Formats: sequence, C-alpha cells, structure tokens
Amino acid sequence: MDYYVAVLSIMGVHILLGLSVYLVAITGQLSFGQQGFYAIGAYVAGVCTALWGTHLVPALLLGMTAAGLIGFLVGFPTLRVKGLYLGIATFGFGEIVRLAFLNIKYTKMVGGKLVGPNGAEGFRHVSYIYDRGFTQVQYLAVIYAAVIVVAGLVHLLERSKLGAKFRAVEEDEMAAAMAGINVTAVKVMAFTSGGFVAGLGGALFVHYSTYVDHDMVALPLAVASVTYPMLGGLGSFWGPILGAAFLIFLTEGLRFLQEFRLVIYGALIILTMIFRPRGIIDEAVMMRIRSLVRRKGAPSPAA
Amino acid sequence: MAETLLDIIQQSINGLMYGAFYALIGIGFTLFFGVMKKFNLAYGPTIMAGIYLGLIPLYRWKAPMWVVFVTCVAGAVVVGFIVELACFRYLRKGHELAPLMTTVGMLILIQETVVIVTHAAPYEYPNIFGDESLEVGPFLIRPDYLAILISGLVFVVLLYLLVQRTAFGRAMRAIAENPAVAQLLGVSVSRMNRLTFALTSALGGATGYLVAMTFGALQPGIASWMTIKGLVVIVIGGLGSIPGAICAGLLLGVVEFQALWFLGVGYRDILAYLLLFAFLVLRPSGLMGRPAT
Amino acid sequence: MKKIVVSSVTLFWLLGLAPGGAGAFQEEGTLRIGGMWALSGPAAYIGSSSKGLSALAVDEINEAGGVMVQGKRVKIVQSVYDDACKAEEGLTVVRRLADSDKVLFSLGPTCSSVAEPVFGILQKRLGDATDTGLQFLFFTDTAIKFGLAKISPWAFRNVGNEPAMFDLAFKLVKEKYPELKTVAVAYESDFAHSVSTWKGATEPAVKKYGYEVLDVVEWRFEDTEFGAQAAKLRKTNADILVMMTHTFTTCGAVKEFKRQRVKAKLMVGITSAASTETLVGCGQAVEGLIIPTNFAAISPKAKALADKAWAKYKADSNLHSVPAYENVHAIRGIVEKVGIKNEPATLLEDRRKVRDALAGLGTFQGVLGPIKMNGDDDPVKPRDVDKAIILVQAKGGQWTVFWQPPELEKK
Repeated sequence: MDYYVAVLSIMGVHILLGLSVYLVAITGQLSFGQQGFYAIGAYVAGVCTALWGTHLVPALLLGMTAAGLIGFLVGFPTLRVKGLYLGIATFGFGEIVRLAFLNIKYTKMVGGKLVGPNGAEGFRHVSYIYDRGFTQVQYLAVIYAAVIVVAGLVHLLERSKLGAKFRAVEEDEMAAAMAGINVTAVKVMAFTSGGFVAGLGGALFVHYSTYVDHDMVALPLAVASVTYPMLGGLGSFWGPILGAAFLIFLTEGLRFLQEFRLVIYGALIILTMIFRPRGIIDEAVMMRIRSLVRRKGAPSPAA
Repeated sequence: MAETLLDIIQQSINGLMYGAFYALIGIGFTLFFGVMKKFNLAYGPTIMAGIYLGLIPLYRWKAPMWVVFVTCVAGAVVVGFIVELACFRYLRKGHELAPLMTTVGMLILIQETVVIVTHAAPYEYPNIFGDESLEVGPFLIRPDYLAILISGLVFVVLLYLLVQRTAFGRAMRAIAENPAVAQLLGVSVSRMNRLTFALTSALGGATGYLVAMTFGALQPGIASWMTIKGLVVIVIGGLGSIPGAICAGLLLGVVEFQALWFLGVGYRDILAYLLLFAFLVLRPSGLMGRPAT
Repeated sequence: MKKIVVSSVTLFWLLGLAPGGAGAFQEEGTLRIGGMWALSGPAAYIGSSSKGLSALAVDEINEAGGVMVQGKRVKIVQSVYDDACKAEEGLTVVRRLADSDKVLFSLGPTCSSVAEPVFGILQKRLGDATDTGLQFLFFTDTAIKFGLAKISPWAFRNVGNEPAMFDLAFKLVKEKYPELKTVAVAYESDFAHSVSTWKGATEPAVKKYGYEVLDVVEWRFEDTEFGAQAAKLRKTNADILVMMTHTFTTCGAVKEFKRQRVKAKLMVGITSAASTETLVGCGQAVEGLIIPTNFAAISPKAKALADKAWAKYKADSNLHSVPAYENVHAIRGIVEKVGIKNEPATLLEDRRKVRDALAGLGTFQGVLGPIKMNGDDDPVKPRDVDKAIILVQAKGGQWTVFWQPPELEKK
C-alpha cells in the first residue's frame, strides 16, 4: 500500500501545481513560472518547522501566504504581456527565484544537525512529519484536505460572478474592459491566487520529501505543471486534476520500461494533443456532462 | 583602469561573437513564427538531433568534417520533418496551445532518445579551427567564434536574398503578412509550412554544427538550453523580426559576458532574465517587432 | 486508432502499477533485491554503469547456484528502476521497492540530490515505533556527497571518502612536486556534489598542505562557455589547477584553457571524473589530469571485471559503478551468514537483521582489496566505508596509475 500512498501524495502536490496554472490560465494567461511560487512555499514552510520549530499548520499558511504575496507583486509587471510572451516572462520569474535560492544561505544548528537552506547544497532535515509520528496515510489526508479545500474554492469561484469575469477576460480582454470589468484586478487576482495555491503545494511537498533544492524547481517542473491543465483540459477544474492524475500514473505505470519510459511518455503527450487539442476535459465534454446531469434533473458537483 | 577597459573590450568581443549563436538560433525561431504563427519548442532538440547524427560518420568511419557538416544539416532537416509530421500536420486548426504541448512532448522524446543511445555521456566534437587563439594586439580571439560570426553573416545574407529575391521568399512574406490572402493568391500554405521547416532545420543544423564544434563536448542538455535562449532572443528582438533577432542575440551575448566577468556566474543568468523582464514590461513589442496587438 | 491509444495507455497503467506478485519468496526460490539509478536525464551515463555492474554480480551469483538461504539455494531477482535523478521520482521509487516489490535492500541512488530526500524519509530512530520513517535498507554505490549516510541508520554507503581522498592527493602532490606552491580552483556552483567537495574536502586539504589559493572561479553544471573563467585563471598563473567540475564542463573548460594558454603545471580533478567518459569526451585536452579514486584496473581481477562488464553490459567500471558489484556480493555473504527467513511476512525482520549485520560487518572484500565498514557509533562517518585510495592520471587516452598504496602493489 505504501507505494500507492506515495504516488497519491506526489499526485496531490502536483494537482495543486496544476490548479495554480489553471487559475491563471482561465484568465487567458499562460504561466510557466508557478514552480517559482512552489519553491517559495517550500522554503518558507521548511524554515518555519525545521528552524523555528513551529507547528505544521502555521508553517503551511505562512509558506502559502509568502508565495501569494509574491504572486500579487509579480501580477503587475506581467500585465502588459500575453500569450507565450507571458509564458516566457513567467519562466524568467521562476528561474530568478530558483537562482535566488541557489544563493540563499540561512542555516543553524538544530539538535546537533546543521539545518536550513544552504545554497546549492539544498535544504535537508525538514523531518517534521516523520519526527512527530505522522503515518504516510495521515499525511496523505493532510495533503488531500488541502486539495479538496482548494478545488472546492476553485469550483465556487467558477460558479461565481468573479469566475464569469475571469472567463470574460480570457474570451476578449477589450470587450471585458468595456463591459466594466476591471481587467487589471482580475489578472492580478488570478496571479495572487495561483501563487497561494502553488505555494501551498510546495509547502506540503517539502514536508513530505524532507528535502528541497533549486534543481527540483527547474524547467522540468515548469513543463510538468503547465502540461497538467493543458492535457487535462481547461473546461473545468477537473481538467488539471485529471491531467495530473494521468501523467503521474503514466510516469509510474511506465516505470517498468526503465530508460525507455520518458520516450513513450513524450509520444503519449503528442498523441493526446492530436486527438484532444483542448485537453481531455474540454468545453465540449463539459457541455455534455452538464446536459446529461440536467436531463437527469439532479445537480452534480462536477457540473 | 586601463586593464579594466581592456577587459571590457575583450568581453564585448567575446560576447558579440558568442551572441552570433543566439542570433542564429533566434532567427530560426523567428522565421518559423513568421510563417506558422506558432512556436516550435522542439527546435532546440531538432538541432541537437542533427548534431548527434553528425557524430555517426565521425565515430563510425572517421569521416572528414565536411561530411559531418552535411550529415548535421541533413539530419536536422529529417528530424525537422518528423517534428512537422508529428507535432503540427495532424493538429486540428484553431488550438493555439496544442502545438506548444506537442512540441514539449517532442522535446522530451528526442532528448531521451539521445540519452538512451549515448547514455548521456559527453562526446568529443573535433574543432576544425584548432585549439589556438589568435592574438590581436592585447586581445585573444577564438578562431572558431570568429568563424561563427562570419558564417552567421553569410547565413543572414543568404537568408536575406532568399526572402527578398525568390518566389519562395515572396510566398513566405505573403503568408507572414496575411495567410488567408496568401492562400487566395495561390500560395499553398501546407507546402510553405514544410519548406519553412526544411529551411529552419537546415539553418539549425548548420548552426548546431558550429555550436558543437566550439563546445568541444556534447551533452543532450544543450537541447533545452538552445530552446530557452532562442525564446529569450525572439522576445527581446520582437516576434517575427529577423533584424530584431540578430540585435537581440548580440545584445544578450554581450550582457552575459560582461555580467560573467564583472559579477560572476551567479549574476549572469539573473541579469539575462532581468533584461528579458525589462523588455517585456517596458517594450513588449521587442527591439524591432511591430507593436503587440 | 483512438481506441488503440486509450487501451494501450490503460494497459501501461495496469502493467506498470501492478505490484510484483507478493508470493512467498522462499517458496519461489528467489531473493529479491532492488536498484534505483538515474537511467535517463543528464546523469544517465553514471547510473547505467552501476546497473551493469550490479547485474554482473547477480549473474555471477546465480550462475554459481544462487544464495544459500534456509539450507536452500535461491536465485537473486533484481528490480531496477529509473529515478531520472529527480527527487520526486526517487520518493515513489523507494516506496515501490520497499512495499510493492518487497526487496530486501536497494542499491543506488546515483544522484546525491535524490539520496537526500530518499534517506530523509527513512527511519531515524531505530526500533522506535513512534518514528514513522520507512524501514528500508540502502547500500549505496554512487551518491558520494559527504555525510549522506548520517541522515538515517538505514543508509549505508560504499562510496569514496572525499575528504580523505583529497587529503591524500595533495599530500602526495606536495611530496612529488615540492616546488608547486599556488593553486587556482574551478567548481560548479549550482551542483551540490561539486560545491560540497570543494568546500568540504578539497579546500581543507589545500589549506592543510599550505597551498596558496590565488583565485576560485565558478560555472554552472551545464555551461558551455568558459572564456571569462579561463581568462581569470590565466591571470593567476597558478601552479596547480583544481577542477572540482564534472566531466561535461571539465571537457569544455580544459579545451578553453589550452586556447587561452592557461599553463598550469598540474591539474587535479573531482572523483566522479575518473571515468572512461572523461577520456572519450575530452580527448587529448585532459592529458595529465590527476584524480583520486577507489578503482582502477590495476590487478588482473579488476581488469577481468572491467572487460567483462564492458563486453556484457557496455558498463564502465569506475569508482561509482564497481561498488554496485561489491555491494551485491557483500550482501550475499551477510545473508548466508545471518540466516534470514526470506518470507514476505518476515521482511522487516530480515531487513533489520541484515542492517545490523552490515553495521557490525567490519571488513569485507572489495575488488581491489579489503573495505572497512564503519559502524553506527563512528562519530564522523557512520555507515560509510574506508577503502584504498588510488591516484590515477590521464595519459595517452588512458587512466594510468599515478600512485597506489603499497599493499596493493605487492599483489
């Protein structure tokens, strides 16, 4: 069982990453920089429990908030650019964060061990959950509690007026502005909330892995986190969840292929996009699900 | 003081010569974007695949370097054709993000194929310009870098002639201007797409050969490096603008070299990204691009 | 077409996620061991050699009849996975080995950055039920960053002791070339192993033997341009160049040194660069490079092993891969001595037994000579080994022995 719990744990963290890209994407913006917020969340939360000895919950909240605040700040300069331009700009942001952590040293001795972010040598001994006797399943519950709360909030957002505004900005910025929507506020809000969610993901991850370094938040993670919503679909918040589940299970499922694994993985991404260019759960699928639900006359949370 | 000045000049020379690489990679991306209105993130891996295919005649039969060069270019064209086939041809129209994902998939696929074949071990790439630097006054100049700058100029002139003087070039410009109208005028868009792929891949193969030679050793990691640098260059230079890509490439080269010399490697990459950020915020259309629509 | 894709993807999932059939091991007549290495990505050349050498050891044992467990000869079955040198993948792979495949122990990982979190989730307080860390045994062959085995009592390593290796290297250099006084250093500032080796092993040695450090330059693990750093090194005019950089950048950099006429009298390299890949990748430019290592084909036995590994698995025998071979043989010896039950139900007990025996092993036989495993109570490097250090030098496209301990020479 342990193995499946581990896969689900990593999956939960990656669902949060996918949701954070999704939150930004539904305003029509593409971010390749969510791994930067993830890194901030991980380092801040790690410092809280490992160096300052705080409880897990404030650590998660603080990591999340720090990432959200940075998201708020990053939201402004990136307002002027769109599309893949924005993708490149945000990737630049993610890299700057990564390079910053490469240079940050903040260590002290805790219980006879040198703990704390130590530049290129990484940040080890974030062993809160294992020291306190959390079992894997218990921590899995913590991760999925976070996932459910976030997914629930995203779901509420999508059904709210604000969500309609997000989508309106995606459809046509000019028209949205003319209809009286504050486009700036919507975009900055999207970045801020994306930052919060990615930060929470990072904070949860560092406690699971006990270790984080700059190499973990480089290009491959950026590509993975964008792939989740793209592959899963932008029609609903189920898209990034499904995308993350699909790709994580694929990574694990192909493991018996050893070195040939990633070749097949790449090929499957190409094939999926050829057959479903808007992702697996695209708008058309959502429509069908909605009409199906309506016909039965019972509202479903998926609709 | 005088020494600092000499250092600045030396690093600027190096930066300009090295920037020629960035410019050439950027031109490939920008040509591609001009015609297809899409990004090809698999361009870096295409080039890398070409370079590695060039190793086969070299290591198998100890072939002379011109054979290696031809294999590089031909190999890149073949791989480029595969990328077109797999990532673009069968995609349905009107999905902007889909080619991004298919080329990401291709990036992983090509990179890992090379890893499997070579175990990602470094391979030596012989340098036909030897391992000696030219001494010009107080400055050292790498002959291979000089060769890149010169061949870069030659490539650009050839490209200019191709774009401005040939029927192919006219069709290309027509598509860049307005694909719908070009099609009405009898330009086959799908044929142009394939030709553009062939052209950019050939340019990539030729650039890749020079890159590999100056690197001295090869590793699959250079694929994503080339893609990232190419994207940074076209954003700074302005999408679709060849002169913009050239200027941006040279600028990036000089900035990186000065930063490396005076501030160290830690600041080189940060400064490069800050430069990118500055352009995006202050001049989103890039050095020479049209204003963003 | 669509259906084919959908069904093949589903098939992959089912195939890949299914646990490796948890029958009774002893009844199957097998003993399960594991291996996780970087088989894809930039470190694949290191991981694939370890995989080859461990497979060779497994073949040897199985061809000789297998391992004696409970009075019965059982065959070794090895589960091997790729972690791509990525921490997150390592974290699932280790659970898969421990839980689904139920292996007795695992070799690997390749990268120190994977070993950090993978050892991090292992149990810290042995036998303490309140510590929920994973109870799983590692006998690592590659991840060399100093002090990794300290993270958990379940982590053992048969890897080079870099502080001792560089201490010896500079001691010998000092003896042989007393006229050399100054050094200049290059390292990869974004690569944990490079940074920790320079700060934790090489710098102390350089200081200890009274060398003057004229300049320290940095570059990145995947850099390809070394003009500026070479120019700085050239200005120092140092006697010795200390290259704490891995194969790829070492190759690019030494070529640039030649171009810029950086004329050092001696070059000392990082342990990981003592492999055939360096010779292939750099060619003539590394001529004269001296590296402390733990393996060189100096004895007939070592030579035969290297040839066989290359012929059978295209695996390079070097200080990172040969321990994989030695570790499999060492564990076989322990298993036969302590008598495990080799049943799924007694797996944790068996692992603990083997762990304790490994901690108390003392000396075991390596390819070149005896290897001493330090016990749990070693204050500096518990569960790490002490073994013979050899200095090799690149000469004429081959690694030649620059120095070897007298006890090895006699053989």
